[in-house]
Amino acid sequence: MFSVHKLSCGYRPGHPIVKNASFQLEEGQMLCILGANGCGKSTLLKALCALLPHTGSIRLNDTDLSSLNQRELARNIALLGQQSSLSFDYTVEQTVRMGRYAHQGGGFFANSNPSEDNQLVEQALQHTGLSDLRHRPITQLSGGQLQRVFLARVFAQNPRIILLDEPTNHLDLQYQLELMEYLRSWLTQPGRYVVGVLHDINLALRYADSLLLMQDGNILCQSPRQQLDMKQLNNLYHLDVVEYMQELLRIWQKP
Amino acid sequence: MNRIGFTSLKLVLLVLFALAALFFGVAVGSVSIPFSQICSIVVHKLFDTPLPESITGVTPDLVWNIRLPRVLLAFIVGAALSVCGAVMQSMLQNPLASSYGLGVSSGAGVAVALCMVFGLSQSSWSNWLMPLICLGAALCTILLVMTLSQRIDPSLSNQTIILVGMVLSLFLSACMSTLATSSPDHSQRILSWQLGSFSMKSWSQVVPLAPVVLVGSLLLWRFGRELDLLSFGDESATTLGLSTKRFKWMLLFLISLLTGASVAFVGIIGFVDLVTPHIVRRFLGPSHRLLIPGCVLFGGGFMVCCDLAARTLTSPSEIPIGSITALLGAPFFLYLFLASRNKGQQM
Repeated sequence: MFSVHKLSCGYRPGHPIVKNASFQLEEGQMLCILGANGCGKSTLLKALCALLPHTGSIRLNDTDLSSLNQRELARNIALLGQQSSLSFDYTVEQTVRMGRYAHQGGGFFANSNPSEDNQLVEQALQHTGLSDLRHRPITQLSGGQLQRVFLARVFAQNPRIILLDEPTNHLDLQYQLELMEYLRSWLTQPGRYVVGVLHDINLALRYADSLLLMQDGNILCQSPRQQLDMKQLNNLYHLDVVEYMQELLRIWQKP
Repeated sequence: MNRIGFTSLKLVLLVLFALAALFFGVAVGSVSIPFSQICSIVVHKLFDTPLPESITGVTPDLVWNIRLPRVLLAFIVGAALSVCGAVMQSMLQNPLASSYGLGVSSGAGVAVALCMVFGLSQSSWSNWLMPLICLGAALCTILLVMTLSQRIDPSLSNQTIILVGMVLSLFLSACMSTLATSSPDHSQRILSWQLGSFSMKSWSQVVPLAPVVLVGSLLLWRFGRELDLLSFGDESATTLGLSTKRFKWMLLFLISLLTGASVAFVGIIGFVDLVTPHIVRRFLGPSHRLLIPGCVLFGGGFMVCCDLAARTLTSPSEIPIGSITALLGAPFFLYLFLASRNKGQQM
């Protein structure tokens, strides 16, 4: 089980953005965090992978993840962030291969298990549809292709928990669905978890096992997908979400 | 040819370029010396073999005591500055960063100027003391840049670091000029130091600098994969498993060491650290496992060529080496920039 207890974090000491967040996730499940812009979703993800100092505990089964060093933590948690610096033209394959860093030793002869590295990199390239682009410099890719490169790097990292910050950004419909399907199949291996921030409520409702609603740095509720309290969801976005979705559907149904 | 073979060929070409630069650096000058004679003299000095009778007069002295140390020093300094430039650019994820632009060289330069004014540079142990003082000054400058940047911008964004570095670099240069004009006895030396020079150099400068640069470059090469991760930004590198903060401090120390030691011996030379990493990246790609050795070979060779131009173009007088690197580097950099823009690539 992946559990977070009373986690608070922020960018300046004494000014927490996320306050006393607690939630838990069963093995093989996907948790989606929903909330308005600026409510602390991305900040929470950053604290989970030690990018921000925090108080409270983050545990994976019996292991306190806060006590691990950076390399050990990276073997357990991977993050697909919102942005990455792109100053130099590494190829797609070079970039994806960097996901293996935490599993390799240091120094000149770092590639301790090249066959496993190669296999995971190949799989990641295939599942993100990047095999044909492997030698292309990343500076020449479109936004969607780039998003897939960083996703592939996360898969190559082969962690136990994947954190995704708006993973479907820049992806066309086909890749959005393929990504979510792939994440579901990734979760079928034992001991894996996915925590994602999604703005697309439809995707969240369709693929997540559990939903976490956040408002102003506080967690409103965590509920299984089937038992989502629509009132709270409406409060979160200040509109009648179901009514809005039905209105969208009516556009499609018009002759 | 496959990609590995192609890359190996490029590395061999770089080695040939470096060797050719070293050879021409020794061979060309007021007196031209043939290749065979250079080889004989070097072998004679290293293994104490007898010299051929055809080599007479001052030639052995000219090769061994004047040209060879000068050329080797130029190579070592060029390599050190280029490697520092490449690392600085990756660390700050900014292709326009350089240790010169961040004030590291100027910080070390002010230390040298102060040593000159207080007479420390003339002492017998100055070849060991000066690099240590410069290392300290370079480290202090970097610490000052980082502290000021953190005060202005707690998230320590790279843009802030570069901006603060530029301001500090200009300020320190102004300090150096003020020191030069306020002490007329030393003004000539300080001013020529500001543009760098390899003239009047001997083995006593090469011997302390070579191991420092060798060890520093090897260490940075060893951390090639970590540097690759850091090129994507601190957050990205951290989530991939790198202890970014500690690693960056180590990089800053190594950059200060290499830049400080170089400035201590030859003065401030700009542009090499900015331009050579770009050229090598275009040739070998951005991966640091290739970029660092590439910068050593190309940066070293490039500096030897610049020094050759500095001492032969207006012989018998010499052009300051900093002017040559800027004269060659600036148009070349502009050409690269425009060429990549036309292709729609990022630099």
